[in-house]
Amino acid sequence: MNKGKIVSVSGPLVTAEGMEEANIQDICRVGNLGLIGEIIEMRGNIASIQVYEETSMVGPGEPVESTGEALSVELAPGLISQMFDGIQRPLDKFLEQVESNFLNRGVAVEPLDRTKQWTFVPTAEVGARVTTGDVIGTVQETPVVLHKIMVPAGIEGTVKKLEQGAFNITETVAVIETEEGDKELTMTQKWPVRRGRPTARKLNPTAPLVTGQRVIDTLFPVAKGGSAAVPGPFGAGKTVVQHQIAKYADVDIVVYVGCGERGNEMTDVINEFPELIDPNTGESIMARTILIANTSNMPVAAREASIYTGITLAEYFRDMGYSVAIMADSTSRWAEALREMSGRLEEMPGDEGYPAYLGSRIAEFYERAGKVIALGNEGREGSITAIGAVSPPGGDTSEPVTQNTMRVAKVFWGLDSSLAQKRHFPSINWLESYSLYQNEMTAYIGKELDTDWTNMVIRSMALLQDEAELQEIVQLVGAESLSERDRLKLAVSRMIREDYLQQNAFDDVDTYTSIQKQFEMLTTILSFEDEANHGMELGAYFDEIMEGTIEVRDRIARGKYIHEDQIEEFKTIRETVKETIHQIVERGGMEENA
Amino acid sequence: MARKIGVVGDKDSVMPFKMLGFDVFFASDAREARRYVDRLAKEEYGIIYLTEPLAEQIPDTVKRYDDVIEPAVILIPNHKGSLNIGKKRIQENVEKAVGQNIL
Repeated sequence: MNKGKIVSVSGPLVTAEGMEEANIQDICRVGNLGLIGEIIEMRGNIASIQVYEETSMVGPGEPVESTGEALSVELAPGLISQMFDGIQRPLDKFLEQVESNFLNRGVAVEPLDRTKQWTFVPTAEVGARVTTGDVIGTVQETPVVLHKIMVPAGIEGTVKKLEQGAFNITETVAVIETEEGDKELTMTQKWPVRRGRPTARKLNPTAPLVTGQRVIDTLFPVAKGGSAAVPGPFGAGKTVVQHQIAKYADVDIVVYVGCGERGNEMTDVINEFPELIDPNTGESIMARTILIANTSNMPVAAREASIYTGITLAEYFRDMGYSVAIMADSTSRWAEALREMSGRLEEMPGDEGYPAYLGSRIAEFYERAGKVIALGNEGREGSITAIGAVSPPGGDTSEPVTQNTMRVAKVFWGLDSSLAQKRHFPSINWLESYSLYQNEMTAYIGKELDTDWTNMVIRSMALLQDEAELQEIVQLVGAESLSERDRLKLAVSRMIREDYLQQNAFDDVDTYTSIQKQFEMLTTILSFEDEANHGMELGAYFDEIMEGTIEVRDRIARGKYIHEDQIEEFKTIRETVKETIHQIVERGGMEENA
Repeated sequence: MARKIGVVGDKDSVMPFKMLGFDVFFASDAREARRYVDRLAKEEYGIIYLTEPLAEQIPDTVKRYDDVIEPAVILIPNHKGSLNIGKKRIQENVEKAVGQNIL
């Protein structure tokens, strides 16, 4: 292919002439250094190339060569537990190769280990007819992930030969006889990141993604196959929320895209994750996690690609029939990368300088989430849950990225800096946030627990809502002016806030709460309200009840630290509540009714 | 908006109120007094007269109705004479309302 010549360089944007043979979205090698770039605009023979590496010292006249391939990721065993940059270069290999903690330029690193031997176990039979998406064999990649080797897209035929044993990912493991001749299959597939992988059918999400975070699971649940946005100002805890979900969500695979945030946050991930044990499988959670890092000091253009790289990896595992969660922290940085490129391309800016196509790009990402039936005869069901953090400047959620995200994401966990300042974490504001999956998900959990969970959730929400209204009155005229019933409401909603919604991510027990325990905790708090109301009906005064129950309320408050396997204790707490209030009523002189 | 008037106190003190047509309830100790006051409040009495010696024994109950519009719990002296709690309460309320004791 003809080589082009650089005309101009403007940050990550390089224009080159003599590129008439290249196509849009082709990957190019730019300059004498051979930087990796992608064509994002073609005008006649002039191509605009976004370069995924630092472009200083690159000048006009240097050559540009198109590879004729779109930006693709390599999909094969060896992905799990790896940390890649935005264009799927493994960072540990990178470090070895360049012996520097920073990205050197023009370095080509194989995305996956070519030499490692994987034990391939065939599952198809010779002579069987296979089509796209059929599983021909499996590789036990980590203790928890069974990597299914699927027939790549566009191949259909009969299995002619099937190997068994240890292979690396470039060796042929199967031969398929197709109409266009024999096709040799390795364990590797390539897929262009900007195109969604095809599926047989999209399904409606039905099951909740259990995260072990009480405020999320109870009040604002997200479905497996759903999409959620976590907007919040600096320091409100977006990253911790994302980390918590990555750690404890009941999914098979987690793809964590650190996109434009501080490098130390990725360091936290690398330091913490290997030590943590997945409560669902008993293995280290690193055994199901893929990390993609494009920290704030890494090239901007690669940031744009990192989101697509992440979701393509997620789609690959979804096609195997796994439930996958992809975390993007933060999509604002990604949108800013879009803005930077758009600005350099001299496109007409939209709101706040973001490109006019910001909305469609964000939608493109979130729409790749979903619950699907994968291609192939088996009809495997897989799902991708996309959870994107958004960092609106100044916490103002009326800015374009948040607004466009809200349009496509069905769950909105609005983080609140005033809650964060009060040390209420996770600082998800219960009045602002919403989940459009709430009805289905609470009904599902209710069925699972065999209780009226929906009602409990609605009641807690109503209490919190009432509290906000009552608080206004209290601020005007003082708590004394409220009726006793309202004061009880305040007390109970305070219990819900402090003893239930507040959750310490850094406490060994409190960091994860199973649905069963959530149910017990909420039942206990709500039963306190019932009992107190009953006591007041029988003549006890609010103040007497509050004074008499200090001890037992303290026990309710410490309920979050009760170990998962001791949740019967909540039952005794509830009995104590009943007894205590009973005694208070007796002392209040109403013994004949009590 | 017609409301009933109830009187709670020891028998000797409150009996005469019966002549005026008020509902009279005899209470000899704190527990009984509290029960009556609470009950009358629940039954939507507009005014509850309570004798001072009993009120002294159930400050929580009296305080409970301080900030509500209905019922008004008004303290009255009993047949043994006034303890001045009732008057003091009025003065306090006036002071709260006007900012100065003008009585």
